Amino acid sequence: MRIKPVCLAGGMVLALAASLSAAGAEEITIVLPEQPANLEPCRSIRADIGRVINMNITETLTIIEPETAQVTPHLAESWEQVDDKTWRFKLREGVSFQDGAPFNAEAVVKSINRLMNPKLTCDSRSKFGDVTLTPKAVDEGTVEIVSDIPIPIMPTLMGTVQIVSPNMPFDQEVNKPVGTGPYELEAADNEHIVLVRRDDYWGEAPEVTKATYRWRSESAIRAAMVESGETDLTPAIAVQDATNPETDFAYLNSETTRMRIDAQIAPLDDIRVREALNLAIDWDGMGEALFGTDVLRASQMVVPGVLGHNPDIKPWPYDPERAKALIEEARADGVPVDTEITIIGRNGFFPNASESLEAMQALWQEIGLNVTIREMEAADWVRYLDKPFPEGRGPTLFQQQHDNNTGDAGFTVPVMYTSEGQYSTIADKDLDQVITKAMSSTGEEREKLFQEAFRVVHDEIIADVPMYHMIGYVRVGPRLDWTPDLKTNSEIRLAEIKFKQ
Amino acid sequence: MSTLSLQTPDAEKRTASGPARIFRLLLRDPLATLAFAFLVVVVVCAVAGPFLIGDLIEKPNFRARNMPPFSLEQGFAYILGADTLGRSLLARLVVGARNTLGIATAAVLCSLVIGGTLGLIAGYSRGALGNLIMRATDIVMSFPSLLLALVVLFSLGPSVPNLVLVLAITRIPIYLRTTRAEVLEVRERMFVNAAVALGASHSRLIFRHIAPMVIPTLLTIGAIDFATVVLAESSLSFLGLGIQSPQFTWGSMVATGRGYLANAWWVAFWPGLMILLTTLSLNILSNWWRTYSDPQQRWRLELARRHRK
Amino acid sequence: MFGYVFKRSLQSLVAVAGLLVLVFFLSRLTGDPAYLYLPLDSTEAQRQAFNELHGFDDPLYIQFGRYLADLLHFDFGTALSRNRPAMEVALEAFPETLKLAAIAMTLSLVLAIVVGALAATKPGGIFDRLATTISLAGASAPDFWVAIVAILFFSVSLGLLPTSGTGTPLHWIMPIGVLMLRPFGLLTQVVRGSMMGVLTSPYIKTAQAKGVRRTKIVFVHALRNALLPVITVAGDLAASLINGAVVVETIFGWPGIGKLMIDAIVRRDFALVQATVLITAIAIFFLNIVIDLVYAALDPRIRHQTA
Repeated sequence: MRIKPVCLAGGMVLALAASLSAAGAEEITIVLPEQPANLEPCRSIRADIGRVINMNITETLTIIEPETAQVTPHLAESWEQVDDKTWRFKLREGVSFQDGAPFNAEAVVKSINRLMNPKLTCDSRSKFGDVTLTPKAVDEGTVEIVSDIPIPIMPTLMGTVQIVSPNMPFDQEVNKPVGTGPYELEAADNEHIVLVRRDDYWGEAPEVTKATYRWRSESAIRAAMVESGETDLTPAIAVQDATNPETDFAYLNSETTRMRIDAQIAPLDDIRVREALNLAIDWDGMGEALFGTDVLRASQMVVPGVLGHNPDIKPWPYDPERAKALIEEARADGVPVDTEITIIGRNGFFPNASESLEAMQALWQEIGLNVTIREMEAADWVRYLDKPFPEGRGPTLFQQQHDNNTGDAGFTVPVMYTSEGQYSTIADKDLDQVITKAMSSTGEEREKLFQEAFRVVHDEIIADVPMYHMIGYVRVGPRLDWTPDLKTNSEIRLAEIKFKQ
Repeated sequence: MSTLSLQTPDAEKRTASGPARIFRLLLRDPLATLAFAFLVVVVVCAVAGPFLIGDLIEKPNFRARNMPPFSLEQGFAYILGADTLGRSLLARLVVGARNTLGIATAAVLCSLVIGGTLGLIAGYSRGALGNLIMRATDIVMSFPSLLLALVVLFSLGPSVPNLVLVLAITRIPIYLRTTRAEVLEVRERMFVNAAVALGASHSRLIFRHIAPMVIPTLLTIGAIDFATVVLAESSLSFLGLGIQSPQFTWGSMVATGRGYLANAWWVAFWPGLMILLTTLSLNILSNWWRTYSDPQQRWRLELARRHRK
Repeated sequence: MFGYVFKRSLQSLVAVAGLLVLVFFLSRLTGDPAYLYLPLDSTEAQRQAFNELHGFDDPLYIQFGRYLADLLHFDFGTALSRNRPAMEVALEAFPETLKLAAIAMTLSLVLAIVVGALAATKPGGIFDRLATTISLAGASAPDFWVAIVAILFFSVSLGLLPTSGTGTPLHWIMPIGVLMLRPFGLLTQVVRGSMMGVLTSPYIKTAQAKGVRRTKIVFVHALRNALLPVITVAGDLAASLINGAVVVETIFGWPGIGKLMIDAIVRRDFALVQATVLITAIAIFFLNIVIDLVYAALDPRIRHQTA
């Protein structure tokens, strides 16, 4: 009788160990940084939702390849522009939804209409601005999409529209997505979400048969869970937890950070002060210390590869002496350089965000500016993000992180740098013209014009302090053969996960 | 502290208590002496620290980032290691004492005094007023502190007094309820009944008889609350309420170190240790005070002296 | 007794109603939810449409009227962030926290009474000093620090316990351990202080003189009288555990109501905030009634006024 409790405890340990490794050879577990708020496909541009359902449960007509700014066919086999407001997509045949409904033009029309349905709060709608889309089924396999203003990048935009089964409730947001993807939702509760492979997928059958998602917010714990074998993969661990080169991989996560300069308000209305702000920071030291050795210094707000990225722009160097000289020069000309400048930060924005503000504040103090920090709660911070900016705010430097994973600078430049732009603190007529022209053109011309816009913003106006193209880290268990890419923040394609022999 | 009329009349008769006497008694107890000495050091840091230490605490030194402790490579200032931005942890501990002590003391005192007073009223008065206070306390207890912080932030704006306000409000219920419970109990004790029978006034009853019984418990809670408040403060500063970087407290240092527990334990450890030691010292002193102020217990301290003599 | 409970319940009901009104109006002072629900690059028109759809553009008193009307049908609104009825989400999470809090609280109380009482019998002794130091160290150490270090040690270095999650009994050990730190530390100190007071009182001396066994004096006669402040503090601690074992829930991935409430507040999911506050408030109010009844049971002298 005495031995029994010990046996029991031992048994428990064994059972636990068994349950950890018993996830069959083709079953995997993934631990996410947060619980997906819900599983509504029309909100899946939110990373927490998208990471689970995008390309696993629901799929899109096109696929954006952000590394090359290419758009490739997926559920649509081809497309053509009929006139400047009309696009026609030819659909893949022999595809069905997980509930058995056939994938056809009607289903696509209904998916687009559902996304635009004013009764639903669809995050993914934001990519379209205030455009009205009128989709129409030409025949079983052809869809025509008419917009009220010309959209030269419709195929890119279709890469964000998740196609859902026509049987999904049209007027109601749901947590049971049904799409054409290789996996279907088996279970979802407060502790885990389970996806299982379906047999009648139209494409190649993926290796992973079943994926269980859990969530833990602490990066160190998630890293530990992969290390101890409890789980196979975790995205978005902190740089300091990515200590094992065997299992931890860095990837450009398509986010770019900057400090936006309030260029209308003295002393920030003086270009010398704006240049000094850029020169005062030890970019390499800070980047390595806070964001890891793989971090990429940014000169513009889109990552390399995005259409419109200008590889010829040289990022500002670290030159505190020149920065000091510029400030003194400005002071001599009567610029009120002693005015208190406020850094507006957002708490918990990205790992080490507030440390970076502290570092920059100290370095800006060094060159003779008077800088304070205010870190805010998200709802407070957004008041400074959008026009109209708060009255009487004084000169501010606004911490911003921007994600452009659509492969087109059109989602970045107008909003940030035109006179009308929602986030814009500059007003430059010539620049406005360049940008307007870029927005209505395509191909090489579009690229050239956006590149010109970035050059003007960086070299001539100095509208902001570009910081870094951010790096994410994943930890992948030894069983799996998988590497992250630019899209890993917003989707984890189970079909791409293979097993090592 | 010695001017607090905590002693019962009995105690006053026996000893002439002055600060010097209390201090001499304190020195008899090595642990209490140690605790007292530690607190003195902390207070000196809080008062003089910012003057003693220059820009060591602010200027990033990326070469020394996350430098481990117990190395003299970068000078004595780095003996406890460096944080993520390569700033001396020792220097930051010294300078951080001021904001930490200031906020925590203000918050704990506010909640202790307000909670204690309301609890006294609630326990002492029968009927509607007492009930009203208690139900209001229930509401405060059930109101999420994060929401309270956001409400204050959005309606009153960010400032240190508002931070103290939020911290104090959330901690009031424990003092209030404890005081009330003790008052309910003490009020029925024999000596209080006797005092009432002898025609003691209400204020005399409260300050002579009830307060001495209640205050030691409140001090015990207050001392432990110090740690709670310091840690809570850092999470509220994070919302944008109160202390903002480059200002910092021990609590915010611990919070910064949270992400580095697996790799640079020292970033969170030292400030955590300071909070712990301060709490511990406060408690040892409050325990000592409890013994001292209780005429039934004081012989323990006196005994220690006699033994040594 | 029943009269008292009835009266107290009625009072508490009024207080809960007051709390809900407060939460309703105050939570709406905390910024525009459209900014948090919609992506940052949404247009003004999209934000307006969102506010119209959910009635956030109506005057507050109209929104409140709607809320009350729905309450009458036991409709607590939809948790917008979760696409689910708010009360359903809250009720799902609550028992998880309750289980954890109940176990942690019971263990802390029992342990604290034993340790605190023993420490009080010889103040300044070795056991007292040790118990005081350890309990205070636990209570003043940052809980997330202890939690993370415990996981790194027990799960990663030793491989003895699962890192986090729920399931086997082993999963309970670390969350409960971490959750106990503060209650145990604080209660031990309160028990010790309260016992020291009682142990020197005349009736204990009388019992000693009569030759009653020491353990009996400590754990039977003295304890009964020393428990009053202990119960109060324990009640307060229990309330704070119900309200949020947030750190433990977050780090160990425990699907409880504390984390849920924080998420709801951060996301400005008003219906969910109201539902979670209602649930925890009812629990806290109920707890406080129980505590007052315990007072009465422990101390007959108080009984006549609660009854």
